[in-house]
Formats: sequence, structure tokens, C-alpha cells
Amino acid sequence: MPGLLKGIGSDRAFKGATISALALLAIFFIGIVVSMLAFTDWNTFISALLSEEILFAIRLSLITATIATVIAIMIAIPVAYAISYTKFPGKDLVDSMLDLPIVISPVALGAVLLVFFSTPLGSSIDDNVIKFVFAVPGIILAQVVVISALAIRLLKSTFDSIDPRYEQVGRTLGLSKAKAFIKVTLPLAKDGLIAATILTWARAIGEFGATVILAGATAMKTETLPVSIFLSLASADVEKAMAVIFLLIIIAVIVLLIMRKITKRRYQI
Amino acid sequence: MIEIKDLSIDLSEFHLKNINLSINDREYFVILGPTGAGKTILLECIAGLHKVKQGEIRVNGDNITNLPPEERKIGYVPQDYVLFPFLTVAENIAFGLKEAKYPKTEIKKRVDSLARLMAITHLMNRDTRSLSGGEKQRAALARALALSPKILLLDEPLGALDLQTAKYLRLELKRIHDELGVTTIHITHDQTEAEEIADRLGVLNMGRLEQVGMPDEVFFYPDSEAVSDFIGSPNILECTCCNSLGQGLMEVDCGGLRIIIPHDGNSIERIALFPRDIYISDTQPPGPHMNRFKGIITEIKPYGTTERLLVKVGDKILQAEIPRDISEDMDLIVGKEVFLIFKFKRIKVYECKCNHNEDKKPS
Repeated sequence: MPGLLKGIGSDRAFKGATISALALLAIFFIGIVVSMLAFTDWNTFISALLSEEILFAIRLSLITATIATVIAIMIAIPVAYAISYTKFPGKDLVDSMLDLPIVISPVALGAVLLVFFSTPLGSSIDDNVIKFVFAVPGIILAQVVVISALAIRLLKSTFDSIDPRYEQVGRTLGLSKAKAFIKVTLPLAKDGLIAATILTWARAIGEFGATVILAGATAMKTETLPVSIFLSLASADVEKAMAVIFLLIIIAVIVLLIMRKITKRRYQI
Repeated sequence: MIEIKDLSIDLSEFHLKNINLSINDREYFVILGPTGAGKTILLECIAGLHKVKQGEIRVNGDNITNLPPEERKIGYVPQDYVLFPFLTVAENIAFGLKEAKYPKTEIKKRVDSLARLMAITHLMNRDTRSLSGGEKQRAALARALALSPKILLLDEPLGALDLQTAKYLRLELKRIHDELGVTTIHITHDQTEAEEIADRLGVLNMGRLEQVGMPDEVFFYPDSEAVSDFIGSPNILECTCCNSLGQGLMEVDCGGLRIIIPHDGNSIERIALFPRDIYISDTQPPGPHMNRFKGIITEIKPYGTTERLLVKVGDKILQAEIPRDISEDMDLIVGKEVFLIFKFKRIKVYECKCNHNEDKKPS
């Protein structure tokens, strides 16, 4: 091994090692996709995709993920701005705590929410205000809790990259603090905001752990796309599961392509 | 009239201590100081971008210390200009006017006239990111002037430009100032810039305002070591025996050095010359021997990107300042014989007070 870390030979060996890792990973993914394609019978695939249940799941997923994304972004914009631009005691601690939902297992988050709704306060909200437990609002709540931390993180890095002097110049041109934020900082953050929205939306579409605990996995009621995969596999209906998986992959690829386009034309500040 | 009284602020990296300063209406005031002196902080305090807890700032008698920036009506051009990248040049200039809800036709008229004043009419629909440094500077200036502020703050406005553009824009700044009569505070670390453009200037060092005065006063009578250290104290030579040569020239004898000066008038009491206005050559330069003296280097002091050389000429020690790379090219060392050439036009003249002319100021 001594030769591996020294001299010209080591350069080649290092390059070889990294490229082999890349090749192995590619073979792994291609293998999975090919075996999936080989497994799938296209007629069953199409009919599964157009079944009432899957169409319901698509609709429910799109609606809940979109509402959850709007709510999460509305929360994330002021929070991320506050963390990025203002100083307050304990800021580092708050900043770290906000990452908790990213690190903690979604199942645990769902369980925490479920326990909350069994407390007197929680259950009175559940009974009198909005029904969350085992209901569609529960899906949205679970998604919001999981994705808002991601939205905050993404928007904070966007705000961090914007020189505060833009806003300062805006203020010397007659804008109040709030107006300067809307007229100067938000336009500067536009690409980051779009990127954060798309990524959190994609994450909401894929959310399963917290959703299944809080909203349950009831077919045609709280059945989002990931829940649908779970239900199909549980009843050994592999074609149906495959159809949904393909759908999710297509959504993911579209999201990644859009992201690539956005990050390429980001303002150079 | 801008009055700053006992202003102190501490921002961990930079601070200001007990700043007292008043700036007259329509004055072009330059704040001169080395990097890190706190110049930008002072400007930002006037613009209202920092919370000032000690001291106060008054404009025409009104206390504006706690006024938010949007209510101060002060134009501000930060370093690097900070044009809005999501707007075109025209939209950048119109930004403040739009916000103040001016009618559309009036905005267009104002933007057009500013574009003409700045000579940027051909750039109005351009993306700000595609502009050159000088063009950005003009666009930012137009944006700051759009709301017709009474006060204009310029943070190192020529710092990021190449020498040619900077020189040209310097004249432009002065022209625009004279045309609009806007009280201007301009900060820079460049002495030549300060000297050429300032009505008055203040030297800021380590958060303290060391000296305020007309450029000649500050440059020729630095009243603290910090100022003379930053500026490089001038060579002052007492003159005897003045001899008018006609054609606006006068020959003087300064302790053995015979110097020819462009001067037409009373006899000269003494002359002054900045270290940066003395050329140094290690070989005998060709041409006439006018204002050229042989000397021996007695000391070399590095200062920033330049070197200050003490050269013994006859029984006098003169100070010269040259860029470090040139000094290294000539291989200058203590004890070496060099030739000093005075920049003819940069020699400042002090006339005799024995005459009736009471103007003692340098001409």
C-alpha cells in the first residue's frame, strides 16, 4: 500500500477509486430501474394508474402538499429573515433547534403530534376547531411540521447570501423597513424562494412517516401517494405500488431539472 | 448645515470616538483616512443605518439622530454602488420616485434629465450587471439624486475604478456638485483625490477625527502626528534671494538649492513640496538641470504600498515618496547616491509677509 499514497501512481489510483465508486452507484440504480421495468406489465400498470384509488391519491397528494407548502413558506419567510438578519440572545440555540424536525425521524414527529392531540388542549382543538387526527387536515399538519424546517433552512441560506446593503439603500430611497423587505429583499430572494418552494413541495409529496401516524392509512380517505404504496404493498398488489413509484420518480426528475435551471441563473451577488 | 456633536459608536470591528463636525450648505466635504479608520461607519450614521446612542446629528438645526433613514432625505451611494440587479438602469433611477408616488410623466422627465446629467442616456434599458465600474457609479449617483436630496453621501466613489476613469469622474463629481449645489460628503483614502475635490476635508484615524480644514491647511499644517504620518509631512524650505526671471518664473535660493518656480508676484518667503511630488532617479536624468539635485539616501521607511526616502542634499534632508516596486527596481539602499527632481507645478509658494499683500495662504 505505500505506493498508493505517494507519487504519480497514487494520483491515478485515487482517480480510479473515485470513478469506480461512481460507476458502482450508477450500476446499482440502473439495475433497480431495469428490474422494475422488467417486472412491470404495462397493461396492468396503465390500468392501475387510472384506477379510482390512484387518481384519488394523486389528487389528495397534490392538494395537501400544495397547501402545506404555502403554509410552510409563509412561516419560513419571517422566521428565516429573523434568524438571518437580526441578532438576539440565544439565537444560535434557536437556530439549531429549528433543525430538529430535519434530523428527527418523521414517525417520531407524527407520534408527538398524535400525543399532543390526546391532551386536553389538543383534543379540544381536535373536537371543536379542526379535526386533525385520522383526517385530511392531519396530513397537511404532518407535512407542514416536517417541511417547514427544510423551508426555513433553505430560505435562511438565501437571505444570508443577500447583502443587507441592498435593503439599506432602499431605505435611503424612502422605503420603510417592511417595504424595503418586500420591494428589495424579496425580489433579490426570488430564485431562492422558488427553489425552496419546489424542494419543500417535493418533500411534502413524499412525506409518509408523520402522515401515517397522525392521519392514518385509510384507503380513499387519507391515502396520499406514499400511503398508497404502503397500502398496495400491504395487500401484495405490487403493480399498483410500481405505478405510484413511477409517478413519484417522474415528479422527482421534473423537480430536479427545474432546480438545475434555477440555480444556474441565480443572481450573482 | 450638518452638525455632528460628540458622536460615539462601537461596532466591535470599527468604532467612532467623540466626533464633532459641522459641514456647511453646498460644501464638498471629504473625509480622508486610512482603511479601517471608521469612515464608512460615520457615513452610515449620517444616513441613519446605525442606531446612534451617544451624541447627536443635526441637519439645519433639526435633530435627526433617531430618524429612520427613509425620513432623512439623504442621498447615499455605497461602495460598490449596490444597484438593484433585478431592475434596469432606468428602473433603478426611478425606484425612489416610484415609491414616493410621483406621477408617471414626472418620473420619466426626472429620470431622463438625470440620465442626461450623468451622460448615461444610452444605458437606460441595460441590465445593471453588464455595466462597467464607471457606468455603475453614474447610475448609482443618478438613483441617489433622483429624490433631490439636500445631502449626498459618497462612500469611496472612485475607489473601484481604474485610474483614468477615476480621474475623469472626479471632475464629473465636482461638476455635478456645482450644478446641483447639493451638500456632499465624500469619503476616500486617496490624498490626491481629496486635495483636488474637497472644499474642506477632515482626517479620520482610528475612529477619531484628527483634523478638519481646507486641503492646504491640513496638508501643510498637520496638527497631530497621526495626520502628518498619514499624509507625509511636506518638505518646507525657507527661501532667500528671490530673482524674477520674467515669463512668470522666479528663481529662489533655499539654503544653497537654486529652485525655479512658476510664480509671478511678491518675493517668496518659503516653498513647500510633498514627498510624493519629488521624483527619484538612480541615474543622471537627461535634459536641463532645472530643479534637479544630487543627494544621498539616509533612511528608507516603508509606508503602505510606498516607501518614504530621506535624502540628504547639501545640508538639508528632503523627504521623497515613491511606489515600492519602483524603489525595488532601482535597488535603492541607504548610502546610495540619487537624483531628486521636483515636480515643477506642484511646488507651493508662500509669499513674503513683508509686502502689503495680507494673503498668507498658499497660492
